Amino acid sequence: MIGNDIVDLRQARLESNWRRKGYLEKLFCPREQFWILEASDQTQMVWLLWSMKESAYKIHSRRKNWRAFAPLKLICQTLEIKGALVTGSVQCENITFFTQSILSQHFIHTVATEQFPLPPIKVNISGYNPMDTSYRNTEPATVSHHGRYLALAYT
Amino acid sequence: MDRSVLLSKLKVIVANYSHDKDALEYFNESTDFIKDLKINSANLVDVVLDVEEEFDIEIDNLSMERMVNVSAAMEIISDKLKEK
Repeated sequence: MIGNDIVDLRQARLESNWRRKGYLEKLFCPREQFWILEASDQTQMVWLLWSMKESAYKIHSRRKNWRAFAPLKLICQTLEIKGALVTGSVQCENITFFTQSILSQHFIHTVATEQFPLPPIKVNISGYNPMDTSYRNTEPATVSHHGRYLALAYT
Repeated sequence: MDRSVLLSKLKVIVANYSHDKDALEYFNESTDFIKDLKINSANLVDVVLDVEEEFDIEIDNLSMERMVNVSAAMEIISDKLKEK
């Protein structure tokens, strides 16, 4: 099973103020907050960690039929940034999810699996049109959309 | 607090984050924040923070986990108000 999550950085800037009092504490554990404060691009780090949690949540919620707003139960454990590529892991209730993210100026995209090393995953990022649902015919394993973007991933 | 007052205060808060204005018209106790109102998950934390400010209560993490729909939010707010 795989999960994916895309963050449109422009949309995130428009609709979220992560510097709001109390915001980071509700979403991120102390170590994650430290990573954010130490990052050269703090906003990018906020949404990178968020997309890692979201992609892992998508697998875990489907598997366990679990529905909750529990960002503090999904803890980013490792993080290795090499240029635009990030590999990491997220832990939730003793299960480890492995993630791979792409950083771009316009978006952050993460895929998560329980396998390591990650199996081959085909990712397709395109413009999002709410009226166009034809992508469903391609039977993506996981779908994410945010702002301008639609992200599909296939195993 | 009267349930209808609570409901209307909650509606004002979530209206800021809802991406489905039609669903907002039919806002009621069975409305789901994500499925119906299409609130972005990153904005659920804003709903929680706004609720804390509006009602001067503190939403603990366990309560926050359940705050994905109107009925749970109303129950949590009512309980926290009683504790005050």
